[in-house]
Amino acid sequence: MKKTMILGLLVLLMTPGLFSQELTGEEIIQKVNDLFNFDSSYSKSKMTIVTTSGQKRTFISESWSKNKGEKNLVRYLEPRRVKGQAVLMLNNADDIWMYFPRTQRVRKLASHAKKQKMQGSDFSYEDMGSGDAFIKDFSSKKLEDEKMEGHDCYKLELSRKPDGDVSYSRLIMWVIKENFVPVVIDYYDEDDPTLWQKRMVESDIRIIDSIPTAMKIVMINKNDNSQTEMELLEMKYNTPLDDKMFTERELKK
Amino acid sequence: MKKWISAWLCMLFSLSPLIAQDGVEIFGYFESQIMGTKLNNDFIQLYSNKLRLDLKSNISKNITFAANFNYITYHGKTNWNILDFLPQDAVAEVPPGMEAFYVLPFENRHFLDNAFIKLSFKQFDLTVGKQQISLGTGYVWNPLDVFNIKDVLDPTYEQPGHNAIRLDVPLGSIYTVTTLFSPEDNWENSAKLLQFKGRISHFDFSLNAIEKTWCFHDYKQFDFESMNFLEMPERRRLLGASTAGELFGLGVWAEYAYNWMKISEDFYELVVGTDYTFDFQTYLMIEYYRNTLGKTDYTQYNLNDWMRLLATEQKAISRDQVYLFIQHPATDLLNIGLSTIYGLSDNSFALVPTLNYSLSDNVEIFAYLNLNFGSEGKVYSRKMGNGGLIRVRVYF
Repeated sequence: MKKTMILGLLVLLMTPGLFSQELTGEEIIQKVNDLFNFDSSYSKSKMTIVTTSGQKRTFISESWSKNKGEKNLVRYLEPRRVKGQAVLMLNNADDIWMYFPRTQRVRKLASHAKKQKMQGSDFSYEDMGSGDAFIKDFSSKKLEDEKMEGHDCYKLELSRKPDGDVSYSRLIMWVIKENFVPVVIDYYDEDDPTLWQKRMVESDIRIIDSIPTAMKIVMINKNDNSQTEMELLEMKYNTPLDDKMFTERELKK
Repeated sequence: MKKWISAWLCMLFSLSPLIAQDGVEIFGYFESQIMGTKLNNDFIQLYSNKLRLDLKSNISKNITFAANFNYITYHGKTNWNILDFLPQDAVAEVPPGMEAFYVLPFENRHFLDNAFIKLSFKQFDLTVGKQQISLGTGYVWNPLDVFNIKDVLDPTYEQPGHNAIRLDVPLGSIYTVTTLFSPEDNWENSAKLLQFKGRISHFDFSLNAIEKTWCFHDYKQFDFESMNFLEMPERRRLLGASTAGELFGLGVWAEYAYNWMKISEDFYELVVGTDYTFDFQTYLMIEYYRNTLGKTDYTQYNLNDWMRLLATEQKAISRDQVYLFIQHPATDLLNIGLSTIYGLSDNSFALVPTLNYSLSDNVEIFAYLNLNFGSEGKVYSRKMGNGGLIRVRVYF
């Protein structure tokens, strides 16, 4: 019995990081990445753009994703001007198609289109991107822990890898220690890593299907002095979705 | 006036049972437009108002009905004398006494643009009725599209519906076979299309075979029976391919079609294009178009060439052209752009500055100027008039 207890204690002491070992930047970003990469999801969201002049534009869209964000379909419901427009992204948004219902045309877009603003908002298609971008395109370094938006957070610096295919040279990310939700992300200019461009703030975090989910995301554009608020109206995780949903045929429906 | 009111009433009555059903969506837009051009020493203006009413109903899980009705009124200068825009050489070809026929009237009209039923099953989609047909990957020119010709000044404007029966059969999630039949007075004159679409790596591609009767007119002969210029229908057979994808970070697309004509000379069309979005959000696009039906020497453009171009029977009369488009979001609500269309074969070009402003969620303003810089006789000659257009569109 004594022997077993000693062995047990040894195992506990030898298990790395179980008690006192700090997580590294790479481990934290992996946990953030795992949080985002659910098998499939459905959401309905409302996007409100507040322009420099204070005017508002509101869009409502539905989106479906599968294979940990590798496949994405977004369809606009409101306003009438864009109703029926849809975007299909496959292979982690390396392949993008856009459907325009007025002309019944599907246009294949190159990946540079990810840099374009989504319906004139402060989010680019890239910001909405999924998959492994934080891991694939950036290397991360842990900075001094900080309190942010009332949460105890890990602070990370993500620097673009030499072969990283993103429009930001650097990100600073505050990750809530309790649930690994990135509560604030600062985006820095593509060429100048000291030039702060945008800040994304996540709030109203709720547990949906056991996954901590920010129901509200605000993107503040420092350059244009404008901001866009994204509010989740509905969210479901791990809903069964057929692969056929992510085809040009479905895009036109 | 009475006629239009009756048409409206008829339409409303016929729609009312549909509207009464659950799930019938009614939407559309109202568009008011002013178009003006400086011609010689005059500035002529044409105003138009368009109401487009769309209906869509998911009758059951597999059946969709959709339709739209257009009602358009014109005001201002509603009779344009085409000869005012043509070079002297072409005008000289007009047969004596026929000058009065070269007038383009803008008459109020209302019509059912699209009305179709779509049956969607796991194995196929079948669409029957008047429907839009969009073929090809080109932005301004589509060699594969024998059904529509885009306006180079406004290439994204919606195209009219065509009466057709279309069958799309998906083969897995990547490939699709499409057959289309657009009936005319007999089988021979009807349009037939067979298309195979798919994807290889990051490239979409399509292979197409099309047969269609092309309705040219001879603009030197008038047919008093039909009260129109003499129709010269001719069978056209086309084999073509298109692709779109990405190369070295640039968006790229290409489209090619070879046309076998029953009577006149065979010809081919080719489009190659590329685009890119810079980090500062500026978007740049270049498209090259070759049409061997077009001529390499502008002094060979004749009256029929000009008339077929202006009547959108023919995509180009100049053999080689380049379209360059640059756009930048000046604010969240305002996009400014500039198109340049350059006729490589005759060294003429047009500049088209554009503006797109979102006035509210469902109201947008679109405007462009059209400035031609070519000398007389060339495709973008100053004689074609310098002008512009302002369009306000309200969606409901």
